[in-house]
Amino acid sequence: MRITGTERDTGPDGRAVYLLGVEMAQRYRHAVGSSSPFYEGLQRGVLRATRCTGCGASWFPPRRFCEEDLTETDWYDLPGTGRVVAATLVHSPPPFGGIDPPYVLSSIRLDGVRGGITHRLIGDETPEHGTAVTVKFIDEAPAHPLLAFAFAIEGAAP
Amino acid sequence: MTPSADNAALVAGVGMTPFVGFRRDASVRDMVADAARAALLDAGLSSPSQIDMGVAAYESDHFNRQMSLGQVLSDTVGLTGKPVVRVEGGGATGGLAIRTALMALRSGEARSVLVFGGETNGRSVDRATAIEILSMSADFEWETPLFGTFAAPYALMITEHMRRYGTTPEQFAEIAVKNRRMALDNPLAHRGMAITVEDVRSSAPLSDPYRLLDASLLSDGAAAVLLATEDWAQQHSPTFTERPPVTILASASATDRPRLSDRPDEMFPHFAAKREAAAQAYREAGIDNPADQIDVAEVYDSFSGAELQAYEDLGLCPVGEAGQAASEGRFDQGGQVVVNPSGGLMGRGSAVGATGIAQAVEVVSQLRGEVAGPRQVPDARIGITDTHAGVGSLSVVNVFGRVG
Repeated sequence: MRITGTERDTGPDGRAVYLLGVEMAQRYRHAVGSSSPFYEGLQRGVLRATRCTGCGASWFPPRRFCEEDLTETDWYDLPGTGRVVAATLVHSPPPFGGIDPPYVLSSIRLDGVRGGITHRLIGDETPEHGTAVTVKFIDEAPAHPLLAFAFAIEGAAP
Repeated sequence: MTPSADNAALVAGVGMTPFVGFRRDASVRDMVADAARAALLDAGLSSPSQIDMGVAAYESDHFNRQMSLGQVLSDTVGLTGKPVVRVEGGGATGGLAIRTALMALRSGEARSVLVFGGETNGRSVDRATAIEILSMSADFEWETPLFGTFAAPYALMITEHMRRYGTTPEQFAEIAVKNRRMALDNPLAHRGMAITVEDVRSSAPLSDPYRLLDASLLSDGAAAVLLATEDWAQQHSPTFTERPPVTILASASATDRPRLSDRPDEMFPHFAAKREAAAQAYREAGIDNPADQIDVAEVYDSFSGAELQAYEDLGLCPVGEAGQAASEGRFDQGGQVVVNPSGGLMGRGSAVGATGIAQAVEVVSQLRGEVAGPRQVPDARIGITDTHAGVGSLSVVNVFGRVG
């Protein structure tokens, strides 16, 4: 932390008011913990999810235990396909960067699992509800590991 | 149902600061002090010494630059020695703080609770920093890396609402126009504006279909309410008998999957937690026809379309009809239910920890008939406040009623 300056100003009642310029930078080592097998999957180009070893209920994003019966879950590979629930053209970059605006963000219902993901679609088309999409691994040194992939609209030009 | 004061939690006092873009002359503790003092004076108290407990409401250490702020604020408002609990529920923080105070009263743990909240969400942080902090309101592990603006998940929800029900951007732009117009008459509002639907639609794009003027404001501000049992109010609050008391008829809260894409398809364009909280609160308050029985509602209009969606989830109109209701002005001044006479988050502004409390200040003032000028809803008897966190991960609905 540091003080970048002290400012003397006038308040609405005409009296002096003081403002301090404060600068703080936080640095973390963020453990993704139980999501680590998902990150391992990204290394070999697959999306992974968890499944209850008891009742078979599946969960994405991954869960440590099944909320139906408290059984621990196990990992499996997803086909990487899904369909669009809704899509929007976003006009500002995400906080970790790595995507130039405008870009298409979509809520995607993933095949083979209960749940879905909000992720980027390749191209500038905002597709209709129900449009089929497929994951594509597009970046080997992404600004954030989740940006290693995006989704392509099926049937769209590569 | 006719509200009765029996064993009720009464609102003995209310107070708030103006909401503004930047208070260069006041810190968050100063603003909370002003709001709390106003609430105590409104209750006719000459000292805070008889108050049993405090509830401090604020969302973010990142915005306020003070950890353990609850104790600092408690000291600031004169409650040192008394218990205090800090409450956080994202955008629902203020509503949840009032609910927490109500639970303390109902349990018998306290007979009077001062609820105070504040936030410096305004320009004490530069825009890039504010956006970075707010991006952590989404799921940091799965959503934050993708969300260029918090408008994005709201935009996904309203896009599906448009597809399913034929809702149009012009219909939710009407809400942005309404709330900013209401704020023109509210001296405590951050920014009232006389604008048109065309102004909204031609403002800068955020995340399609949302534009800048569809979004709410980031403000500096504070608000406070003093809740008490009837016995306590009769004993300690000289103003209790001077005006029709306002009581909390009901309070309910529910949660939803925090990540939008985890939610089932059928509920994707809806706030499931809001729907559940409203249904529970109405049951408790004996409200079976909300659109007819509720006179005034302060609704969480983080985005114009979020207010439109809330009309349905709060039961103010049938599902799928909110767009039409908005364009008919059904929830405007003079309408069936007056929604956001304060100007809402779009006009009065939003200082997160204070927002749900400021909503209560507005509703209580409306029910007492104390609002100056055309904002006063004639003979308002029942009012609600609605707040939610994230894109509806947590909802709180509080119902207030005038006694007599």
